[in-house]
Order: sequence, then C-alpha cells, then structure tokens
Amino acid sequence: MRRAADKIKTAGFGLAMGVAFLPQTVLAAIAPAQPDVIENAPAAVPAAAPIAEAAPAGSYTPMAPTPGKGMPIDGAIGFQDQYSPIGEYGLWMHNAILMPVIVIVSLIVLFLMLWVMVKYRRAANPTPSKTAHNTVVEVIWTLLPVLILLGIAVPSIDLLAKQYETAPEDALTVKVTGYQWYWGYTYPDYGDFEVISNMMDEDEAIANGEPPQLAVDNRLVVPVGEPIRIQTIGADVIHSFAVPSLWFKLDAVPGRLNEKMLIVEEPGVYYGQCMELCGARHGYMPIAVEALPRAQFEQWVLTQPGGTLGDEPSDVTEIPGIQQPESAIPGAAGARNPAPEGAAATAAPTV
Amino acid sequence: MSARLIDNRNRRVGLIFLGVAVLMVGLGYAAVPLYRMFCQVTGLDGTTQRVTEAEAAKVFVAEDTMSIRFDANVERGMPWNFRPEHTTDTVSIGARDMAIFLAKNESDHPITGTASFNVSPVQAGKYFNKIQCFCFTDQTLQAGQEMRMPVLYYVDPAILDDPDTRDLRQITLSYTFYAHEDE
Amino acid sequence: MATTAHPDHHPAHDDAHDLHSHADHKPSFFARWFMSTNHKDIGTLYLIFSIFAAIIGGGISGIMRAELAEPGIQVLGWWAQFLGGGEAVDFDQTLHLWNVLISAHGLIMVFFVVMPAMIGGFANWFVPIMIGAPDMAFPRMNNISFWLTFMGFCSLMISAFMPGGTGTGAGTGWTVYAPLSTTGSPGPAVDFAIFALHLAGAGSIMGAINFITTIFNMRAPGMTLHKMPLFVWSVLVTAFLLLLALPVLAAAITMLLTDRNFGTTFFDPVGGGDPVLYQHLFWFFGHPEVYIMILPGFGIISQIVSTFSRKPVFGYLGMAYAMVAIGVVGFVVWAHHMYTVGLSVNEKMYFTAATMIIAVPTGIKIFSWIATMWGGSLEFKSPMWWALGFIFLFTVGGVTGVVLANGGVDDNLHDSYYVVAHFHYVLSLGAVTAMFAGWYYWFPKMFGRWHSELLSKIQFVIFFIGVNLVFFPMHFLGMQGMARRYPDYTPAFSYWNHLSSVGYVIMAISVGVFFLNIIYAIVAGKKPAPNYWGEGATTLEWTLSSPPPFHQFETLPEIDDHAHAH
Repeated sequence: MRRAADKIKTAGFGLAMGVAFLPQTVLAAIAPAQPDVIENAPAAVPAAAPIAEAAPAGSYTPMAPTPGKGMPIDGAIGFQDQYSPIGEYGLWMHNAILMPVIVIVSLIVLFLMLWVMVKYRRAANPTPSKTAHNTVVEVIWTLLPVLILLGIAVPSIDLLAKQYETAPEDALTVKVTGYQWYWGYTYPDYGDFEVISNMMDEDEAIANGEPPQLAVDNRLVVPVGEPIRIQTIGADVIHSFAVPSLWFKLDAVPGRLNEKMLIVEEPGVYYGQCMELCGARHGYMPIAVEALPRAQFEQWVLTQPGGTLGDEPSDVTEIPGIQQPESAIPGAAGARNPAPEGAAATAAPTV
Repeated sequence: MSARLIDNRNRRVGLIFLGVAVLMVGLGYAAVPLYRMFCQVTGLDGTTQRVTEAEAAKVFVAEDTMSIRFDANVERGMPWNFRPEHTTDTVSIGARDMAIFLAKNESDHPITGTASFNVSPVQAGKYFNKIQCFCFTDQTLQAGQEMRMPVLYYVDPAILDDPDTRDLRQITLSYTFYAHEDE
Repeated sequence: MATTAHPDHHPAHDDAHDLHSHADHKPSFFARWFMSTNHKDIGTLYLIFSIFAAIIGGGISGIMRAELAEPGIQVLGWWAQFLGGGEAVDFDQTLHLWNVLISAHGLIMVFFVVMPAMIGGFANWFVPIMIGAPDMAFPRMNNISFWLTFMGFCSLMISAFMPGGTGTGAGTGWTVYAPLSTTGSPGPAVDFAIFALHLAGAGSIMGAINFITTIFNMRAPGMTLHKMPLFVWSVLVTAFLLLLALPVLAAAITMLLTDRNFGTTFFDPVGGGDPVLYQHLFWFFGHPEVYIMILPGFGIISQIVSTFSRKPVFGYLGMAYAMVAIGVVGFVVWAHHMYTVGLSVNEKMYFTAATMIIAVPTGIKIFSWIATMWGGSLEFKSPMWWALGFIFLFTVGGVTGVVLANGGVDDNLHDSYYVVAHFHYVLSLGAVTAMFAGWYYWFPKMFGRWHSELLSKIQFVIFFIGVNLVFFPMHFLGMQGMARRYPDYTPAFSYWNHLSSVGYVIMAISVGVFFLNIIYAIVAGKKPAPNYWGEGATTLEWTLSSPPPFHQFETLPEIDDHAHAH
C-alpha cells in the first residue's frame, strides 16, 4: 500500500464505463417483494439477534477494511494471514511441512553440487573414477523420497478430508454467480434477492480507504463464526471465486453448481479476485467478503430490496398447466402437452 | 536389397504407430460417451442417477431425513423466469418426493429449452435418484406460457452407510435451462 | 553412452576439409532447404525456426512485463492501437489484447519454441547419428513435419489479426477452455488458433512416429536399446508421449471447432455436454505435454554431465527407466490442474497422491546427475555451466511442484502467480536452460565453427540472474494472492512485480549476448576438431567431422562393448 496513491494510473475511466452499462439480470424479477416479515421470521433463523429488535430495519454502513487484513501486503513473501479454520490448517501445512521440506531438499542439492564442483574439479581430481553403479545408494535415494512424500501425504490427505465437512442444514446459503464481468450473490433463504457486485472506481476506492482494484460497490455480506454454504455457478463462461485470506477458491462453471463450506472466524473485509480467465475484463471483477456478527448481518439483509428474514416466500400462486415429464407419458409430444388431470397425484410420492 | 528390407520394416512399424495415433484420436472422441457413462454410473461430479418406478418401489424408507435445496438458473439472456416452488424441502431418506419448478416464458415467441443438472455436494450424486424429471427431455414454452415442472426423486438410503456422505445434511438439486439456438 | 565406432569404417574420418567426398554432395539451395529430406538440414531449419519464434514469444513477454511493471494500464493501449492499424480502440479491446498476448506467449513457447528446438532441432540432428543411422526412417515425412509446424505458426500469427470477440485475436489462454473458447469468443480468431494447434500437432505426431521407427529399426549393429545414449532414450519416451497425448488434444480441439461452427454440443450443456470434460481431455494431453518439453532436456543434461565429468552416467538403467516411469505416471495425474473445478474430494486425494509419486523418479534423475559428477574429473566448459544451472533451477521448480501437488494447498495457489513461477522454473529456467546447454554443447558440431566460450559463460551468468529475478518474486506474488492472466493489479502487488520486470531486462541482455555469440562464430569462429570436448565425449557424433558430412554412416558403424566399463 505504501506507494499506492502516486502510482495509480488512470485505468479507471474504462472501469467506470464497465459499471455503467451492466445489464440488470433477469433473475432480479424472480425475488418476490417481502417487506413485512420481520416479526414472523425468526423461527427459521435460530441465531439470537438482540440488535435486530433494537435497530430499525435497514441500517448498514459498509465496514472499513483493516489495513493489511484480508488483502495483499506490498513486498510480503508469504501467504496472507488466514481467517478461516481450513485456511489456518492449510497455512500450517505449507509453513510447517512443505516449506521446510522443499528448502532443505533444495539446499541439499545445492550443497552436493557445490561439493562435487570443488572436490572433483579437474585440477583436484585429474583421473575420474569409473563407478557407474551403487545399488545401495540408488535404493536409498529412491526410498528416502518415498518416505518424505508419505510424510507429506498424511497431513495433505487430512487437509483434503476436511473438505468433506459440509455445512449443516440451517446454514446460510449464498449462491455466487459469475457473470462477464461481475459477481452476483443470491441469498435464497432470505428473500432470494441478488446482490450485484461491481468493481469500485479507483478514485472512490482510495477515497474510501479501500485497496483499488479490490474494492467493490456491493460486498458479499456474511455472518461471522458460523458455517456458510457457498455455491458457485457461472452464467456465461467459467469464473473462479477466490478469496486468498479465507483459503477459498471454487470455480463457477456454467450449468453446474459447485459447493463448499466457508467459515469466517473474525469480522472484517476480505478481498479476492476472479481466478479463471473469463474474457476481457477478467482482471476487473474483484470480490469483497464482509463478515459481520449475526445481528448486523440480519440488519444488512433488511436493507436489501426483497431481503427478508423469513426463509420461504409466501404461497406460490397457482400456475396453470402442470406439465408431466415426457418420460412418464411414452409417445407424448413433449412439453406442450398439458398433463391429464390428476397425473401429478399419480406420480406423487406415496410410498 | 537390404535398403529395401529396411524400408519395408520401417513402413510396417510406422503404420503400426500411425494406427496407435489414430486409435488415440478415437479414444479422445470415445471419452465423450465414456465420461458421461462413467459419471452416470459413479455419480462423479454430482451426476444424479436415473431409475425406473420399479426400482424406486423396492427402496426401503429410512428413519432419517434429508434436507433438499432446489436451485434454478437460466442461461444468460434466456427470457425465462425459472424458479423452484419451494427453496428447500425435507424428505425421509428413501421416500419418493416430488418437487415442482415453475417456468415462465417472458418473451413473445415460443422457446425450447434443455436443462442441465447436478447435485451438490458432488459426493451425493450417486445417491440422488430421479424417477421422472423435466430435464430428461426438451421443454417448449409458448410466448407468455407458464408451466409447473415436476421432478420425482428419492435419496438412496445407502447414503447413510457411506463415510463420505454420512454427515451430509442438505443436498442441493440444481438446474440450468439453456435455450436451443435455432429457436 | 560408452560406445565407440570403428573409425576405419567411416568416410567421415577423412580430413574434414575433404569437402568433395561423395558423402558431401549437396543439392541446390532451394532443394536443400525447402524440400530437404536430410535430418541435419531439417534439424537446422527447426532450430532457426525456434529461435525466430522465440524472438516473437519472448518479445510478447517483454510487452507483458512492461505492462506489469506498475499498476494501471500503461503500454497495452498503445500496442492495441498499433496492432489494430492505428485505429482507436476502446478499453475492452485493450484488455482483450492482453488475453491475446498471454495466449500467444503460451502457445508459441510450448508449440513453436521448446518442442521444435528440443525434438525438431536437437533430436533430429543427433538421434540418427547417436544410434549410427544414416538418416531418419521417413525423411520426406520429416520434411512435412517441419513445414506443418511452420504453417501452424503462420496460422497462429494470422489468428492475431482476426476478430475474436471483444477484440482482435484469440484471447482464450493457451488452454482454450470451453465455453470461453466456444460461445465466449465469436469470430474466426479462435478457429485459426485451433487450426494452428492442429497443424503443429499433426507435425509432431508425424515426428513422433518417425523417431519411434528410427530408434526401433535403424540402430547400427550392436547398438542395443540398453546401449543407447540417454538422449536417445529421452527422445524415445518423448515420442511415445507425443504419440499418445497429442491425438487426444487433436480430438478435443476438433470438438471445440465443431462446437463453434457446426452446432455440436460436446462441451455445451445445451446438448448434454460438459465444459469440464474439455478440461479433462485438455489436461490428459497437457500434463504429458510438460514432460514432452522437459524430457529431451533431461537427455541433453545427461550427455553433458557425463562428458564433462569424463565418466559414464551413474545408474544408466535407473536413469532410462526413471524417464519411462515419469512418462507413464504423467498420464494419470492430469486432474491436478483442475483441483478447483469442483472435483470430489476422493478424486483430489487420488490426484494428490499420484502427482507426488512423480517426485520419486525425478529425484532419481537429480541424484544420479550429482552421482555422475561424484568422483569425476570435472571440466567447466560452457555447456557444463548451463547444465549445472539446469540441475539447480529444475530442482527449485520441482519442489514447488510438490507444494502444488497437494490439493488442499492448491485450493489457495491454483491459478495464482505461484503456479506461473513453478512452471516457468521447470520450463523457462529448466527446458530453456537445457536448450542453451545443448546449443553450446553441439554448436561447433552442427555448424563447424566455434562459438565463444567466454561469451556463452557471460550469457549464462546474466541469464541466471535475470530469470531468477523475473520468476522468483512470482512465488511471493502468488502466495499473496495475485491471479494469473491479469494485466493490472492492486498497488500492493507492485514491489515484486517491479523487480520481476527489472529481471526481464537483465534476461533480455543475455539474449543479446546469445546473438552476439552467433555473430562471433560466423565472423571469427575457428574450425572445431571432430571430438572437440575430448575424452569424455563418447557418443557417435564425436566420431564424425564437425560439421558432419552431408550423409553420414553410409557404411554402418559397428558398436562394440569394450568401453562399456563397469
């Protein structure tokens, strides 16, 4: 950050342009407006929310980021500090296991090379030996790496096994949609509203005390300290949702929903970027995750259009023409055929 | 004479390895159906299983329940409104259940769509069985038409025996509708 | 390896100035260089082509490093306007140019620099000689291979000036992932880029068939497989990798082409396709491809280390079969390039374990090179400098590969600059260093003139400092979270990026020294003796004059066993 302000060039003109003509997604139409559900909602939302009663609906101020937390630091030579359990494990795996092994192996190779270069230079050793085999040595340098790799593999497999842990049933679910070139964050259990997140104009970011190119207009806001189910999907091409300080990276592939659990341990703002090449403005669709205490998170939900603390929209209006899958009616012409009355009941689960 | 012998031998060996190369091209293409079959058999990458009524009838119903989440997407720019009737549902493992998805064509012309689908987390794929699904075939909606699209499914009780999925509490069933380009 | 030919069988042992020997009857200029069927001439063509392509590919990385020297968009706008014929460009077109540059850099370096130099150049030149064959098994097909590669390069260059979606050229990355490469990139640019891969791929498959047939059928009497020099072994393994991997790429990119143009849906969910399948197919090719690029380098380094240690290679069989093992295991690890795509945890565990296994044969090679030097009588001629540099740099690149092999760690590092640092350490610093090593090892042999040993050592020192300065800081950037394929970055990445760009300038100076050395050889290069490296150089090319006669081994050399000491 130290040379930030004076080095920024004026790339911002194009970015502002990008923000200007973002299409409002068709999904926006889906979320039914649910303005008045605060009272009857909390049954589905278990976490206690003392502030929820006190504060008026719809109060939220974007949190100011802590310098050096959840963002890269200029000149640093290691990973960003980690703020998720898997991140701490991964960081330990790298710093305590992998790093010492690779440094020692490299130094051993370097030392051996320097040793032979000095000891067996032509001036020191004019007559070469003709030794071209030594079974013992060959077995050792085959088995020793095997043992070292086994030593690495045990914690490595365990780190992977942690990914089997899935979020509990009532965990907050956020669907992250990658668009060319911005992110959409949908909260299906809180009114199914979608937050559209674009890169913030550089001057504005600097004025706000946020890192340029990483700051966004609307953040992905999540509650702190609880498991969150992050689901990713691509709307057009493959994107990748990545937040380095949370050890989180998951591709957003079109036509296929991916899922991974995320726990943010501390309140804060954590920056990330798209990490799969997705076209021209691949470098200009950053990510900012803001982790808030549960109560403040719920306050934020209420500020969103369509945001509600109830988990289910009211009854869906009757739509005519139940359509039976073609597979159930052999020889049917397909989707245009309305099913015979009662077909749904026949197919309905009874067993 | 000897040069000719060598030429013949070279030609033979060359042709054999040309054959290998052609075979590998063929394998590259064969990978497409093989991959699909492999995914369908093993549930790799969250591929759901497709079963018949008869098979589904044989499944016993376990006491445990599973939460199912429904997720609906359309290809970017496709003028359909597509969403699940309910965001989540809780079902007994092994019991058949029906979920309804609602789709509306918001354009002024008929559009045919095909839905791609998967479940997440991916390890649940081999235990998620569909008996009937709108995703098995193309769906056409007339201009402004609204439709309820059912999917009949059950969760295989074997999911409770697999150490990879035993602790799983929610499965998400996701669909994405794609418009056929020729429409 | 330790094999010798009976010198008296051979016309090449006439004094080298006997240019009128029937073995040196050369065709006219056009027939010699455009319709060439001579493996040495084709090898030379490949080397010249590779250097030419390297100037373009390296020049592109110069634009990239200039752009990345500071945050913001500096030079791209100018280049976009320049390449667009002076017309004004908008911001998206400028950014699209970045994607075109990174794609072209990758494709050029992989398909038109490293592969042509290693396989087309050095292997074409020396595999027939090292096994005592008069030429390749299919000399005409050899010629076709070269011109297909050349036309592939032309096709790639044409693609850069075709409409490709948001701008001119193919901006899909060298991996050409669907759906960015299908629905995401309208316009013919991507088609031309794919066609370039088809042409280069067809050329390489033909080359692979040629090498396999040559090595299986054309070895001189007594040259058994287990007496072949390790360079020949490395080319044999490489040829098999090419033969098995490239057709899969050909199939995958053909499917891309038909998806793009003929309405098929191999990778398109509309028709039940899966974009992830493309990644599986691509990396089934792509992972063996990285061994295709590095294995011939292993072979070159083995020859050089043995020569300048005056010792046979330590653990010859272990070395040969380590390469075979690397080749075989290389086919079952591909999905470690796809850890974040949504693989199941079980798949990640398998690919993590399988990938780490590759470290074992690679370790055998590193240790065997050191053991070859152990007890030797080391002479530090310039190829040895490059070879020693290779061993160390490849080790550094290899150990970061072990880090990335861990799926749980790759969750953070995937597609970051750490990956860029890793594969440039094994390729830019590994394979390219091996190429320079081979260049100086064989330059006098190939061209009949001495290069300057001093200049090549100077080049090594500058190059070594430069490339390390370019690529080592990228590890730090990657760990701090900087993503690949970004033209611009937040100011917190500027320190190491700036240093990296400085390193590029130093590296560029070393390339200047390289060309200076070629000029020196042309102007003042002395004529080398047949075996100018002396007693340690025991393979068959050292029994021939420098340069070798136009046709060698018209009487096949006989290989005897006496020098194969234990």
